[in-house]
Amino acid sequence: MKFDVVIVGAGPAGLAAAYKLASAGFKVVVLERGREPGAKELYGGRIYAYWLDKYLPEFRKDAPVDRWVRRERVSFLTEDKALTIETAVVEKEKTSFVVPLVSFVSWMAKLAQNAGAKIVTETPVDILVKDEKGRITGVQSGPDVLQADYVVDAEGVNRLLLERAGIVKKLEPELVAVGVKEVLKFENKKTLEERLGLGEDEGLAWAIAGYPTEYLPGGGFIYTYKDALALGVVVYMRNWEKLKTPVYDLAEKLRLHPYMAPLVKGASLQEYGGHMTPVAGINMAPPRFYYDGLLIAGDAAGFLLHTGVLIRGVDFAVASGVLAAEAIKEARSPSAEDLAVYEKKLRSSFILPQLEKFRKADRLLSDESLFRDLALLSTEAAYSYFNIDENHRTLFEAVREASKKTSISLVKLMINMIKMVRNL
Amino acid sequence: MKIVALTKAAVPLSSAIRIDPKTGTLVREGVPLTSNAWDRDAVEFALKLKDKYGGEVIALSMAPPSGIPALESLIGMGVDRAILASDRVFAGADTWATAHVLAKTIEKYVPDYDLVVAGEETIDSTTAHIGAQTASWLGVPYVYYVYDAEIKGRTLIARRFLEDEGVDEVFEVEMPAVISVLKGSQVPREVRLSRKLNAREYIQIVSNKELGLEPDCVGLRGSPTVVAGMAPATYPPRKKVVIQGEPAEVVKKLVEILKQEGVL
Repeated sequence: MKFDVVIVGAGPAGLAAAYKLASAGFKVVVLERGREPGAKELYGGRIYAYWLDKYLPEFRKDAPVDRWVRRERVSFLTEDKALTIETAVVEKEKTSFVVPLVSFVSWMAKLAQNAGAKIVTETPVDILVKDEKGRITGVQSGPDVLQADYVVDAEGVNRLLLERAGIVKKLEPELVAVGVKEVLKFENKKTLEERLGLGEDEGLAWAIAGYPTEYLPGGGFIYTYKDALALGVVVYMRNWEKLKTPVYDLAEKLRLHPYMAPLVKGASLQEYGGHMTPVAGINMAPPRFYYDGLLIAGDAAGFLLHTGVLIRGVDFAVASGVLAAEAIKEARSPSAEDLAVYEKKLRSSFILPQLEKFRKADRLLSDESLFRDLALLSTEAAYSYFNIDENHRTLFEAVREASKKTSISLVKLMINMIKMVRNL
Repeated sequence: MKIVALTKAAVPLSSAIRIDPKTGTLVREGVPLTSNAWDRDAVEFALKLKDKYGGEVIALSMAPPSGIPALESLIGMGVDRAILASDRVFAGADTWATAHVLAKTIEKYVPDYDLVVAGEETIDSTTAHIGAQTASWLGVPYVYYVYDAEIKGRTLIARRFLEDEGVDEVFEVEMPAVISVLKGSQVPREVRLSRKLNAREYIQIVSNKELGLEPDCVGLRGSPTVVAGMAPATYPPRKKVVIQGEPAEVVKKLVEILKQEGVL
């Protein structure tokens, strides 16, 4: 049996491509190794809406949304202190939302299926099949080969197919982080709103630096579902051996921190999971995004933007899937020459320009001293400033005192801050 | 050789099992159902017999249409075709009423069956009734905990293992017969893309319109079992004591605490 397009991976990128291609009359099959679309996926919790409006406006109609984010919180956390900054909008803005990824992905799967795409689950693809000239002509799963004019590789961060095809090297620990996450369910949505100080149906996104990663590069996060919250930690892989706590215990450790524990008291652990995330973004991109018969989209292409507090993956994945579909629609043949239009589209879209703009973010964020210094100094300085004893300090005195106490040089911190402001 | 494999679209993991505190019933909403893990052992067993003696393996399930993916998965493993008995009047059935529908479906759609295989039990209700009750409705012999079998003429030579007694037994029964397969005794083969691609085409859905069963004998009305009550097992709360230090010291302290608690 032959298809026009075989898509590897029923995630946001693969399903977006499948939906657009099937809608245009292509014979499309999506191969997914999990038992259902989204079964093998994990993310923090939030999807940004701006680019979805441009590339998949259908989502406004009936895609599942748990809560629209109206509050952004950032905390520096140490063993015994915290400093939290919050920004909130009172207007009912709809710019980013929290939803379990599997719900969003199964919504996309239905969209693609209704358009005529076929989704085959429980099917791990083993290799990209090449002909004698090195062109990709299909995929192989177990002993079975499926031929196609075009293959879209949307296999995700652990891109074994691209490795086996010799397109990319084995992932270096420097390029990825590992995330662990718990979903904690409250008795009802009101309890959750009261605990976190949220209005009705208001969503919260919360980034936490310092303590969650034992001051190593990475951070903790909290996102609010309807009556549950996602609580997790992301740590850069290059540092994992410096951790004193096993990675899988980090989320629990954060949950038990005295600053967090009262918020989630009584909530029951509903699920937990772990996954790699391509924090290096464009720095782990394959040499090209198109080859003879092959296009690469989503995490596999390194289309993830990470600036420490903000992490965007799903909007990039969806948009790249849509652009891959457009490229296939426009290409006269599956030759790399004709598929080069995909890269042109990526360049004239937001995808490559925005990823390029933040190219240096990864290097900066993986600087070991940054997280430690910022978290320790800022919490200590805030404490000194607000703590009235014999002395009532000016803000400057508070910072200087904190610098002395933590032996963190203010000059070094300033330099780091300038780097941050420019690159993140 | 025609083998019918009974299968249930079940909640996939025991950890995914949740009981509705109000009704005391299993929560199935929002849980993707898959073929009961122990049924995959039975299907593997049937496929091995087919590999050896030829013939056909037919999967049979009673479920709402949400049970279709579970059957597609079995067709991916190599089952030749599947029958889904699906009708609103079948809803709420206990094992007795379920086995009734299964047996009647076999009699009507696979009248020339040689063997029926079932999993030892389901992963989400673990009654282990269906095999025996189906045999009873069909009026044929039943052997359970089977892990290996061979066929000579019309005779099935089935080996079974009784864990409690540690005994291996060999039974010779005339076919047609029903067996249940010892869980964990088989390694289910992988789902194949070429089979799974068009799996839906090999699934036949039959309703009670075709089966014509007495409504009083199926579903909730045909079920003599009454669930009088169900309560989640409660665990003693964890003490949440973390002992830190060198492993040897930690163990010493742990033993001390366990002694204090009266555990040791």
